[in-house]
Amino acid sequence: MNAQTDTPTGTVTDTVRTPAVVLKDAFTELSARERAASLLDEGTFRELLGPFERLESPHLAPQGIVPQSDDGAVVARGTLGGERAVVVALDGKFQGGGIGEVNGAKLAAALELAADDWESGKPIRPVVLLETGGIRLQEANLGLLAIADIHAAIVRLRQYTPVVGVVAGMVGCFGGMGIAAGLCTDLVVTRQGRLGLNGPEVIEQEAGVEEFDSRDRALVWATIGGAARAATGLAERLVDDDVSAVADAVHGVFAAGGTEPPRSARVEDALALLARIDPARRLTARDLAELSGLPSPTDLTALTDEPNGAAK
Amino acid sequence: MTSDPAARSWSTRRADKASRIERAAALADGKVIPTERATAALEALLEPGDKVILEGDNQKQADFLSRSLAAVDPGRVHDLHLLLSTFSRPEQLDLFEDGIARRTDFAYAGAQSHRVAQLLADGKMEVGAIHTYVELYGRLFVDLIPKVALVAANAADRNGNLYTGPNTEDTPTLVEATAFRDGIVIAQVDKLVDDVTDLPRVDIPGDWIDYVIPADRPYQIEPLFTRDPRGITEVQILMAMMAIRGVYERHQVTTLNHGIGFDTAAIELLLPTYGESLGLRGKIAKNWVLNPHPTLIPAIESGWVESVVAFGGEVGMEKYCAARPDVFATGRDGSLRSNRLLGQNSGHYAADMFIGASLQIDRDANSSTVTHGRLSGFGGAPNMGADARGRRHASPAWLDLAYGVDGVERGRKLVVQTVETYAKGGVPKLVESLDAVDVGKSAGLPVAPVMIYGDDVTHVITEEGIAYLYKARDLEERREALAAIAGVSPIAGKHDAAREERLRRDGLIALPSDLKVAPGDASRSLLAAKSIEDLVTWSGGLYDPPAKFRSW
Repeated sequence: MNAQTDTPTGTVTDTVRTPAVVLKDAFTELSARERAASLLDEGTFRELLGPFERLESPHLAPQGIVPQSDDGAVVARGTLGGERAVVVALDGKFQGGGIGEVNGAKLAAALELAADDWESGKPIRPVVLLETGGIRLQEANLGLLAIADIHAAIVRLRQYTPVVGVVAGMVGCFGGMGIAAGLCTDLVVTRQGRLGLNGPEVIEQEAGVEEFDSRDRALVWATIGGAARAATGLAERLVDDDVSAVADAVHGVFAAGGTEPPRSARVEDALALLARIDPARRLTARDLAELSGLPSPTDLTALTDEPNGAAK
Repeated sequence: MTSDPAARSWSTRRADKASRIERAAALADGKVIPTERATAALEALLEPGDKVILEGDNQKQADFLSRSLAAVDPGRVHDLHLLLSTFSRPEQLDLFEDGIARRTDFAYAGAQSHRVAQLLADGKMEVGAIHTYVELYGRLFVDLIPKVALVAANAADRNGNLYTGPNTEDTPTLVEATAFRDGIVIAQVDKLVDDVTDLPRVDIPGDWIDYVIPADRPYQIEPLFTRDPRGITEVQILMAMMAIRGVYERHQVTTLNHGIGFDTAAIELLLPTYGESLGLRGKIAKNWVLNPHPTLIPAIESGWVESVVAFGGEVGMEKYCAARPDVFATGRDGSLRSNRLLGQNSGHYAADMFIGASLQIDRDANSSTVTHGRLSGFGGAPNMGADARGRRHASPAWLDLAYGVDGVERGRKLVVQTVETYAKGGVPKLVESLDAVDVGKSAGLPVAPVMIYGDDVTHVITEEGIAYLYKARDLEERREALAAIAGVSPIAGKHDAAREERLRRDGLIALPSDLKVAPGDASRSLLAAKSIEDLVTWSGGLYDPPAKFRSW
């Protein structure tokens, strides 16, 4: 792939020389809408409740925040590997991808309708692109309710089909949506992606900088980054931040049929792991990978054993 | 009797140095002072009221020596006059809290700018003046002659030969100012070797150094010139496109300096793509006065850059610079050599253009990075961002801005300020009066801390367009031109279509369409690198970004 393929049609870019090096066609460069489109079979992208429907959050303007016409969620229909599909992409650039009443309802409803389809004999492949800090604080309980609906919908839907989550970055996936990611049948992550419950800043604020230094990026990524999450079994597929690599991974899950049983249903494994953990000891992702009995991580440069591994 | 030259000693400074060295004799083994005796040695060598250089610029810090100095007994060592480029570390300010230092002459306060303002208000710190870098270095040789210099090096041998490597920066200048005035030079070193042949190269001869002390940990260094391309916005890309067409191309700028910031990082990353599409490679932006900005890698790799002279190094760029010796100045060992004084001098006299971002610009184009509650100082930008009135060599860009009459004409440096009309949160950046004016008054400074004076500014670029201020015939016209590209900020006034048309016709302003720049084309896809990972790829793996810039 070359770096210019995502160039919108324009006068200048048509004449731009391709750089001398081959750069990744970064998935994280894409907007939520472009991300959804990049996963669907070419030419099949069709947006439901798009920005021109003006389905905006009614809660933001009174709080002095400019709302967005799609409320930060893109619901796209199309085909994926020739099969009917629905892709919901959260827009990390709008309010950190936070879940409010409207974008939460769009996501929950899309998953519920997909489950309805399966129950009436119409297969459909669901993919959720999770770029979100969790609840949108301005909408508090309404966001919480939406997230509960999303959780329920994923659990209902995964009886019929793999539900694929993607955490590509740069926001990552946190809070109640971190749980949603955990409920997915299969999770695709990049090294740039981060996954957790509380974000690094919140942990530092609540537990102190000695517990977790949110500005130590090496520590943050070695703990909750995509490579660390894949190494510790909290994500199934680690891929490069590259449009075709992400698409191949998502297609691959459906082709393979998804992880069975899903990670969050393997309760005994999780309890056994917890029993092996000594909470008094500070664990690195590498330690956790070993305790999990997973294959020793290879080529995981992020898994530094030295949290402050900064250059000189 | 006092007028009898024979009766006067002409070597009091030398005698004073000898007696101090004598006092410290028991603490040192030749030139080497053991790590744990650093504070004791400083107590023996320093006297109250001494003028002391403490090395610390915006990149490298003699932090072992500043920590050791902060630990001296204020009963023995007090009221020092501290000479330093940049206040960066908390203990540099603790010196004033504890009375170890009382007076200072400096250039920049950066991260400590709040505390400097507070110490001034509390009367704990006396400021002689806030300088630019070269100005402060100059005064070290004239009327601020130091008694002691505390500097940092990567390695030394037992004879005091210093290896300062890619981050040589201020060290040779600070040492020279001290060593040749019978001052005492003390270097903290990351590594001590026995023999000069064990050093990669000698940056400063041991003859100029009195003591070396192995530091408890490597000196602090900040990657200050690294900008993650992920942070570049499409507004900045639009302004960069306008800059390339309306300034670089129009004036055929070949020798230049870029400020630190996302605005100029965007320009660096557009050269191999947008600049290439305009056929400008080899015609503009060839000879640079610049630290090794990682965002310059794609332009270097694409053959845009003939040479770069650096003020300092940049963490992570060591291997890359060493592998590109045709572009960067390198030593016998192959690694980068930098020198802040010479870099600043080059930027002042030998560069046709300075371009950098501003935080605040008033209607006369005075530009400042000082905001309320922060006394940040100047660093080096004003040395670059000022017409070099002593310049005599001509170049096409310099002559393009010529002025004067009757056959006695002179060119002018391009001093270009980029500024978005509003900052995040709806705060205007183009304002009636600079915060610097109030800050200067409340800090009791004799002059307002203006970064770049309006009469030196030749161009202002906003997202609305470019004002060619150098073309204005009078102050009134200058203000009109700036107001016309000020969007809806306080200095813009009412939109006046007739005025705008006249200014465009006379070439005082250019809007994007005048420059054949389509705002819709300003897309991140134009960036030659969109992330730190892309920069690593461009460098063939030679660029090794520090952890704080890794998102993986």
